[in-house]
Amino acid sequence: MSQKHMHPGVFDLKSQLDTGKISRREFIRYAALLGVSVTAASQMAGLTWPGRAFAGSVKRGGSVKVSAPIERVTHPSQISWIAPSNQIRQVAEYLTYTDADNVTHPYLLKNWEASDDLLTWTLNLRQGVLFNNGDEFTSDDVVFTMNQWLDKDVGSSMLGLMKSYLDPTDIEKVGKYQVKLHLKRAEIAIPEHLFHYPALVMNSRTFEGDFIKQPHGTGPFTVEMFREGERCVLKARKDYWKKGVDGKSLPYLDSVQFINLGTELAPQIAALQSGDVDSMDMSDLPGPQAFKALKDNPEVKVMGIPTNSARVLRMRVDVKPWDDNRVRQAIKLCQHREKILGLAYYGEGLIGQDVHVSPMHPEYCEIDTPKYDPERARQLLKEAGYPDGLEVDLNVGSGWNEIVRYAEILKEDAKPAGLTVNIKTMPNSQYWEKWTEVGLGVTVWAHRPLGTMVLNLAYIADDEGKPVPWNETNWSDKEFGELLEQANGTLDIEKRRQIFCKLEKIQQDRGSIGIPFWINQWMICRKRVENLNAHPTMYMYFDDVWLKS
Amino acid sequence: MTEQQTAEEMRPETIPDQGEGSVLESQKGFWRKIKSAVQIILTSKTATVGFLLVFFWVGVAVLAPALTPYTPTEQDWMHPNEGPSAKHILGTDELGRDLWTRIIYGARVVLVYLPVSEHVTIPGGTAIWSVFVALVVGSILGLISGYIGGWPDEIIMRLLDAMISIPVLLLYLLIVAALGASAVNVVIALAIMGIPGIARLVRSLTLDIRTRDYIKAAETRGESKLHIMFVEIMPNAKGPVIIDAMLRVGYAIFAMGTLGFLGMGIPPPSPDWGSMVAKGREFILQGHPWASLWPALAIATLVVGLNLMADGLREEMTRYQ
Repeated sequence: MSQKHMHPGVFDLKSQLDTGKISRREFIRYAALLGVSVTAASQMAGLTWPGRAFAGSVKRGGSVKVSAPIERVTHPSQISWIAPSNQIRQVAEYLTYTDADNVTHPYLLKNWEASDDLLTWTLNLRQGVLFNNGDEFTSDDVVFTMNQWLDKDVGSSMLGLMKSYLDPTDIEKVGKYQVKLHLKRAEIAIPEHLFHYPALVMNSRTFEGDFIKQPHGTGPFTVEMFREGERCVLKARKDYWKKGVDGKSLPYLDSVQFINLGTELAPQIAALQSGDVDSMDMSDLPGPQAFKALKDNPEVKVMGIPTNSARVLRMRVDVKPWDDNRVRQAIKLCQHREKILGLAYYGEGLIGQDVHVSPMHPEYCEIDTPKYDPERARQLLKEAGYPDGLEVDLNVGSGWNEIVRYAEILKEDAKPAGLTVNIKTMPNSQYWEKWTEVGLGVTVWAHRPLGTMVLNLAYIADDEGKPVPWNETNWSDKEFGELLEQANGTLDIEKRRQIFCKLEKIQQDRGSIGIPFWINQWMICRKRVENLNAHPTMYMYFDDVWLKS
Repeated sequence: MTEQQTAEEMRPETIPDQGEGSVLESQKGFWRKIKSAVQIILTSKTATVGFLLVFFWVGVAVLAPALTPYTPTEQDWMHPNEGPSAKHILGTDELGRDLWTRIIYGARVVLVYLPVSEHVTIPGGTAIWSVFVALVVGSILGLISGYIGGWPDEIIMRLLDAMISIPVLLLYLLIVAALGASAVNVVIALAIMGIPGIARLVRSLTLDIRTRDYIKAAETRGESKLHIMFVEIMPNAKGPVIIDAMLRVGYAIFAMGTLGFLGMGIPPPSPDWGSMVAKGREFILQGHPWASLWPALAIATLVVGLNLMADGLREEMTRYQ
């Protein structure tokens, strides 16, 4: 992007950087969001962006085997969890890429520009990119894919993310390589939304509803074999648009094989230790157990990374007794956070403060951590009309071990407050069937790079006052909604953080959730695998992975 | 022994008109029966080994509160996943709970009481209740089927055949998934699955017994069908049924363990052996096998004990017959 087209917000950011109001990392993250290339932003911040490898160090050829659940994928936009996307992502790609430091880069986009009011976003496409069937990647594919996301019949989670600011009619094809989005409200997180796991770009000419039948993407690999529940074999293509450090087309590997070894951790660890597989898809596996089991193994690399993913104690505010904020506060006060993090997740994470904004989110405003206080909880229950205590059912998926442990600790620590917690266990799949319906439950929330993303997904009502689809607690607050909308369109980081201070205070004081901790995640592979890096989203990328000789 | 027992049974009651004496006499009768049952067990080595194993578990289950200073849910969060020590003789689990305490309280849930809700329990362990319910329902169906015959027999047996044709584990999971995980629902699931086997056994015994002379005599006397089924046939079928029930308690404990292992058993933090194995298994790879090992051993020893006892008893009773 040339200097004359630079968003005015970038200059404000630079001045905030110069006066020490924001860190270099925050400057790069926000400048990148406004369309400045990371290299340019790094230079403006006085940093040089490190290269990832030297030509002499990489080696071409070889195959990597990964243990992973092989689930049937038909429509990429319908992917509802990370594991299937880890296979399809090697074949189809996103428009953007958010790195492990939460900095978003252009990917299939060459760059983007946002209008001063953040209402118009111009997406400039990378030229010369080919789908693996030879078709050229153009704006038709972007418009087609976005229409799939916004089609109610497709049922993509992208719809929940985008529908508050984007309708199909708001997408304008300007030219062969340019698309404009005319938003209904200001939104700064567009580039990050384009990196959501179902946001894979499809070929508008060939896609007919089943990606495995027409596996035409722009990614570095093609589908050689896909057998549900068994194996997915991907072969390298020769004309991929990204170049390696040796100047030739990526990928370095000849093939990647995903092998279904079931859902149990033990056989997958045994397979990794024996070298039968080189890595494991960790998105469905209990990370801390794998970390503990493999951290001292000299043949294995265990790379940890803090995330914005949490196990959320959520209360339906339209269901008794959770309609009374005093009861909600009471159960939150029964969380002994250090103990919960220590025992439920072996201390591998950060303490939470009952607000769905993590200390890793750029907008995070420091807020006090509530102390474990059963006496105060008992008092609150008394005030709420439960002088003799209260008995409640806590619904949890029995497959999430850390959640069951969290529930058991909460049950024990809530006893002194007069709160009897009956743990109702069920298979995870059954929990997902009623995750928005249960009165009290613990839900897994995945990593999202910006605080606004998750707050917009789960804690607001739509224009008609109805909770948005993923608002599992049916909680909405007029002041909270207005402040969040303000935050969505506020670029100045200090001002944004000030708004978040208020948002966090509201959610902590009268919100519908408890978050005792934020989890770490891990990427685990054998030492011969190079450049397979941990990412807080648990996304796996094999385009620039190589094998040590 | 049989002669002595018969003589004692035939002895007229000494003071039939005094209530206190009658109670004393019936107590004496009860202890005599226990004594003779123990004597039968002790004559078989197999049954003796089984009896000792079962007696150990029943003993620790009944005396559990006196055998440990901890409660089964008490968490010592600074000492999770520790091996055996003087403070915790079998070590601690992932939440710092004493494993010995959880094992013996787990035995209580299996053998001594049924937790109906958080605050209500009834005597008789979960496994015992599941077999008892299956025994009552299965026996009634078997008696009706075997004695009355005809279309009731056809309907009952075909329905039970249909139930048997479905894989047991699948049906357990279906029932518990539909009803929700709780001790009472585990009892219901195990009882439903126990009914067909017991009904078929009682039916086959009934088909045999109904041909005996004393049944013909009762029919000639004009006794009602209910009387014949429950007063004439059932008491004479009790031997094999009791042996079968004993084996079924073992199966029920095993099934409870399986359901617990699959996360469909008695919900946490109840010290359910199956779920203890499942949770503890995570830590084997980290060098802490204890949380998984002890409950697995507990299930194994109790089930083996019940099987040995039933086998030994069967041998002895067959010998007497």
